[in-house]
Amino acid sequence: MDKIAEVVESSTSQFTAQCYELHQAPPLGSLVKAGAGAVAVYAVVSQVITASVEPGRRAIARGKDEVDETAVYRENPQLLKLLRTDFTALVVGHRQETKLHHYLPPQPARLHSFVYVCEAQELQEFSQRFDCLSLLLAAQPAGLGDELIAAFLRQAAQAHQDHHKFLVAAGKELAVLLNGQTSRLNAILRRMKE
Amino acid sequence: MSLELDQESKRLGVVISGSLSKGIEVKLDSSASVEDMAVGRYVTIEGERRRFFGMITDIGLGVADPQITINPPDFSDPFIAEVMSGIAIYGSLSVMPLLTLSGDETSLLQGPQPVKTVPAHFSVVRTASQRDVELVFGQEGRERFFIGTPLDMETKVCLNLPVFVKRSNGIFGKAGTGKTFLTRLLLIGMLQSASAVNLIFDMHNEYGWAGTSESGHSVKGLKQLFPSKMALFTLDEESAKRRKVSADFVVRIGYDEIEPEDIEILRQTLNLTEASVQAVFELARQFGEESWIEKTIALQPGEASDLLDRLHIHEGTYRNLRRGLQKLQRLSFLVPRTSEKAVQKILSCLDQGTNVVLEFGSYRNDDAAHVLVANLLSRRIYEQYQRRTERALGEGSQSPRPLVITIEEAHKLLNPEVSKQTIFGTIAREMRKYNVTLLIVDQRPSGIDQEVMSQLGTKITCLLDNERDIDSVLAGVSGHNELRSVLAKLETKQQFLIFGHAVPMPAVLRTRDYGSTESYRELGLSGPAELKKKAEQDIEKLWGN
Amino acid sequence: MPLDLHRLMPQIEVMASKLKTAQEEQRQQLQRALDTLHKCDMAALKRKIATSRTTWLVADPMENPANFYDHVACPSDYCVVAADGSQIDIDRHSLAHCLLINLGAILLSYGSKPDAQLLSQPMLYSEQADLVIADPSAGRQETVQGPLLGLKRTIAECQLLVDLLRGLGNERPALGLLDGSLILWALERQTYETFVREAILDKGLLPSLATTKELSQSRMLALASYISYPGSTEVVNILRVALCPHDPADCDRYCWGKRQLGERPCDEVSGLRDRDLFYRVLKTGQRSALFMSRSSILKYYGEHQICFFYLCLEGEIARIELPIWVAQNKAALELTHSLILEQCRKGQGYPLALSEAHELAVVSGADREQFWQLVQASFVERHLPEQVSAKSYSKRTRWL
Repeated sequence: MDKIAEVVESSTSQFTAQCYELHQAPPLGSLVKAGAGAVAVYAVVSQVITASVEPGRRAIARGKDEVDETAVYRENPQLLKLLRTDFTALVVGHRQETKLHHYLPPQPARLHSFVYVCEAQELQEFSQRFDCLSLLLAAQPAGLGDELIAAFLRQAAQAHQDHHKFLVAAGKELAVLLNGQTSRLNAILRRMKE
Repeated sequence: MSLELDQESKRLGVVISGSLSKGIEVKLDSSASVEDMAVGRYVTIEGERRRFFGMITDIGLGVADPQITINPPDFSDPFIAEVMSGIAIYGSLSVMPLLTLSGDETSLLQGPQPVKTVPAHFSVVRTASQRDVELVFGQEGRERFFIGTPLDMETKVCLNLPVFVKRSNGIFGKAGTGKTFLTRLLLIGMLQSASAVNLIFDMHNEYGWAGTSESGHSVKGLKQLFPSKMALFTLDEESAKRRKVSADFVVRIGYDEIEPEDIEILRQTLNLTEASVQAVFELARQFGEESWIEKTIALQPGEASDLLDRLHIHEGTYRNLRRGLQKLQRLSFLVPRTSEKAVQKILSCLDQGTNVVLEFGSYRNDDAAHVLVANLLSRRIYEQYQRRTERALGEGSQSPRPLVITIEEAHKLLNPEVSKQTIFGTIAREMRKYNVTLLIVDQRPSGIDQEVMSQLGTKITCLLDNERDIDSVLAGVSGHNELRSVLAKLETKQQFLIFGHAVPMPAVLRTRDYGSTESYRELGLSGPAELKKKAEQDIEKLWGN
Repeated sequence: MPLDLHRLMPQIEVMASKLKTAQEEQRQQLQRALDTLHKCDMAALKRKIATSRTTWLVADPMENPANFYDHVACPSDYCVVAADGSQIDIDRHSLAHCLLINLGAILLSYGSKPDAQLLSQPMLYSEQADLVIADPSAGRQETVQGPLLGLKRTIAECQLLVDLLRGLGNERPALGLLDGSLILWALERQTYETFVREAILDKGLLPSLATTKELSQSRMLALASYISYPGSTEVVNILRVALCPHDPADCDRYCWGKRQLGERPCDEVSGLRDRDLFYRVLKTGQRSALFMSRSSILKYYGEHQICFFYLCLEGEIARIELPIWVAQNKAALELTHSLILEQCRKGQGYPLALSEAHELAVVSGADREQFWQLVQASFVERHLPEQVSAKSYSKRTRWL
C-alpha cells in the first residue's frame, strides 16, 4: 500500500491531506486511512480541491491557443509547482491495534501522518457495519452527505461478494435512518446502484 | 427429529403492540411476505418468560411514514422495492394469543395453559411448527380423533372425544359447505372410540348405508363401515328397498303412542291454531291418551258437534284440528297401533352398545315427519334414561351408556318458540345429567334458541355468510370479534372452524380426507370380505336375543 | 482618521479635466516627434550628440532610431531564468539590528522536457560586517539602509541569477532576466564615497556580468533586464537635440535664464516620453533600434556598457536593457527579443518568469509581522532585553 497524501489539517471529525501527486486524489466516497501503525484513523473522502499553492493566487485560463490540456501544462511548467491537490475526508472510525471501532477516535489524526487508500479487504471488513452512515448523513453542506453515502456504498459493494445483498442491507439501514424523508431516501437509493 | 421440526418454524416478525382483549399486533420482517400470510394460521410467540401459541386473525399493511402513501416510491425498481419492504413499509398481523406453551411450572406439568398475559415488546413471532401443534392439540390416539389439519400444515389436529361427548355440540355451516361430511367423520370417531352410543336421526339418508360426496361420488355410510356396531332403522321400507339398502328394522309408530305434547310441538308444521292445540288436550282427556287420535279421526259429524259443545271447542277450531290430523294420516308409518314398539327396539340396541341410524327415506323433506318422529322417539328414550340414571344413583349400580342423539335441521326442533317444549330443548338444558347429549347439525343457527346455543360445549362451523348466523354461533365466545373475520374468510368447502371444550383453542382446519380407499384404511376400517363376515356375526348377535 | 474623500473629489475632477487638454497637446507633439524621427541624419546626429552639452540625458543611437524589427520564432527547447528580491530594512526603532533580504528565483525549461524549479532564499544579516559597507583603507563605513540596501539586493539578485545560469547545461539556449535597470544610477545620485561604489560595482555587479559574458562564449546565453512602463526620455531627447538650432547644442549657454520652459525650440517634443513615441512607431511584437545609454555611472562599467531597446507588447511599451556584448551578438539579441515576448504572452503582459520570481521573493505585511514575532520569541527564550523605541511602539499599536 503506497502513501498517496499527507495530513495537513486535522480535527476530530475530519482531516485534510495534500496529495503527493497533482490531480491524484482518491475518488469521492472512497475509504482512506491516516497512519499505518498501531492507531489508524479511517475516513471517507468528501471533498477534493485542486488550487494554487498560495492562497491569494487563482488559476487562470491558459489554453486558448493550445491544442489540448496537456499542452497547457507543457507550455507552463511552473503550474505543476504552483498547484496542489488537497482532499478533505470525514472521519468514520479508527483502529486501535487490531480492533476496529466505528465511532470517532479519542484523538484526531496526527499532522503529517501518511494517508493510504484502503484496499478491498480492508474496505470489506470496515463496511460490515453501517454505523458510519449516520455520521455521513450529517455532512455539511446539505446534500453532500447523500452523495457521499451513495459514492461510499457503490465502492464498498465492489468489495463484497454479493453486491446486491450488501446494497439492500445498506438500503434498509438508510430507510430506518431516513424515516420520514422518503424522497431523500429514494434519491440516495437511485444513486447507490451501479 | 424434533430439531428438524423446530427448524420448520419460520420467523415472521416481532410484536409491536396489542392487548389481551384486542389481540397482539405483529410487524412482519422484510423476509416474510404479507401475501404469504393467511388468516387462521398458527403462530408461536417467544416472550421473555413464556412461549405463546396463537392464531392469525387479521392481516394488514403499515407504513413507517404516512408521507409515503401520498407519494409512493417507484416500485418498478426492484432494488428500491427490496430495500423499503419491511422498513418503510411493512406487513402487519393481528394475532389472538390463546395458550401459553412453556415457561411456568403448570404448563410443564399440565400442558398448555390458557393465556393470561401478553408477550413483551418485540418478542419474536414464528410460524408454529408441527411439534408445537402436536403439543397443543395432542397426538392421535384412541381417545383423540384426527379431524383435520391446520392451514398449510400436515400436523394432525385431534379432538378429545370423551370431553366432546360430555356436552351437547353443534355443527353449522351454509348449505354445501361440508357439514354432512364432518358429521359423518365425528360419528365415525365416536363409534371407533366407543365413547358414547349414538342415535342418529338421518333425515336426508346420508349416514346409514351410503351418502354422496361433494363431487357426487358415493361414499360409504356407517352401516357399511361398522356393520357390527350399527343398526339401520328406516321409516320408509319402500324407499330403502329402492335404494338397495337393507334395513334392520322398519319403524312404525302407532297412534296410541302419540301424546298431546307431540301435537303441540307440531303446531306450526300442521298449521294448528292455539285453540286447536288446547282442544287436543281436551280430547285426550276425553278419550284417553292412547286412543284419542283414533277416536278423534273416527268422529262422525254428528257425534262431533255434541262433543265439541260439551268440551267448548269451537267449530272452526275443530275443522282446523281435523285438517292438521289429516296431514298426519298421510304419513304411512303412522299406524293405529303396533306390536313392536320402535322405542323398545331402539333402546335394546342402545343397551347393547349398538348404534342406531334412523333413515327417513322419502320423508326427508317432510317437516311433520321430522319433528314428530324425532321428538316422539327421543322423548320416550330420554324418559327411560332418566329413570335408569336415577335408579342407578339410588342403587349405586351402573348408569346407562352415554347417549348422543344426532339431529339435523335443528332449527325446526330448537327454535325459540318450541325449544321449551321439545325434548331437545330439555336435553340441551339439562346437559349430561341423565347421560344424554345432542349433536346438532344446522345451516341456520340464528333460528336456534340462544339459550340452547349457549349450552353447546363445542361448536364446529363451516363457512357462514349471514350476519345473524355468525352472531349466533359466536355469541358469548371470548375473542368473538377476531373469530368473526376468521369465520368469514373460510373457504367454501373443506375448511371449518372448531372451538369449545373439546379443543384447547379455536382451530381453523382442513377436513381430513374421507371417501377414498386410503381414507377408509386410515380410519382403521377393514376390507369388504372381512366386513361381510363380521357383519353376519353381528347381525346374529343383534337379533339373537 | 480615514482620508477625507469629499474634500479630495473636486481636486480629482480638476486633475482629470486638465489631463484632457494635455492629451490634445501631446498628440500634436507626438506628430512632430515622429516627423523629426523620420528625418534623422544618423551620422550628423551622432556627432552632434557627442559634442552637445545638455542638462538632460540623451541616448546614443547605435543605428537609425526609426528602425524596427520583427521577432523571430522561439527555439523549440530553451530555458528562462529570473531572479527577484525584497527586503525588510533595518528598523532603527525595533528590537534587533538586522536586515532581511529575501531572494526568489525560477528556472523554467520549455520544449521536450518541460520543467520548473522554484527557489526562495531568505538571508538574515545581523553581523556588523554585513550591516555596513566599510572602507578597507580608511575607517569609514556606510550603513546599509535605504537606497543602499536596494543596491545590495540588486547585486544579490544578479549573483543568484548568474549562479543559476552557470548551473545550466549548454544544450539549450537560455535567457536570464532581472527586474528593473542594470544601470545603477542610484550610486551616482546619492553622493556615495568611492569605496561604496567600488563595493557595489567592482566587487558586486560587474563580476557577475563578467561571469555571464564568459559563459556566453561557450553557449547560447543572454542576460537582460526588463523595465515595465518606462519613464525615460532618452530617445525623445535625441529628437530634441535634432531640433535644436544650435550645433553643438548647449542648454546652459543658450537657454538657461533666457528662455522659459515651453519657449525653447526643443519644447516641441519635450513633454513626450519614449514610450509614447514608440507606441506609435512599433507594432505589437516589434522591437525598436538599439540605443546606448550615456548615463554617467556607466563610465565605471568598462566592457559591460549597457544598451537598450524598446519592445512593443499588447497595449504597452517595455524597455529592455542588456550588456553590449549581448546586443552585438545577433543570435543572442534575437533570442532576448523572442523569449521576452513569449514570456509576456504567457504572463498576461509581463514576463511570467519575473512575476513568479517576484511571488517567490515578496515579503507581505503579515510575513513581516511574523518575522518580528519570531525574532522577539527567540529573544525572550534567551532572556534578552527587548529594547523598543517609543516611536515604534506608538506606530505599532493604535491606541486611543
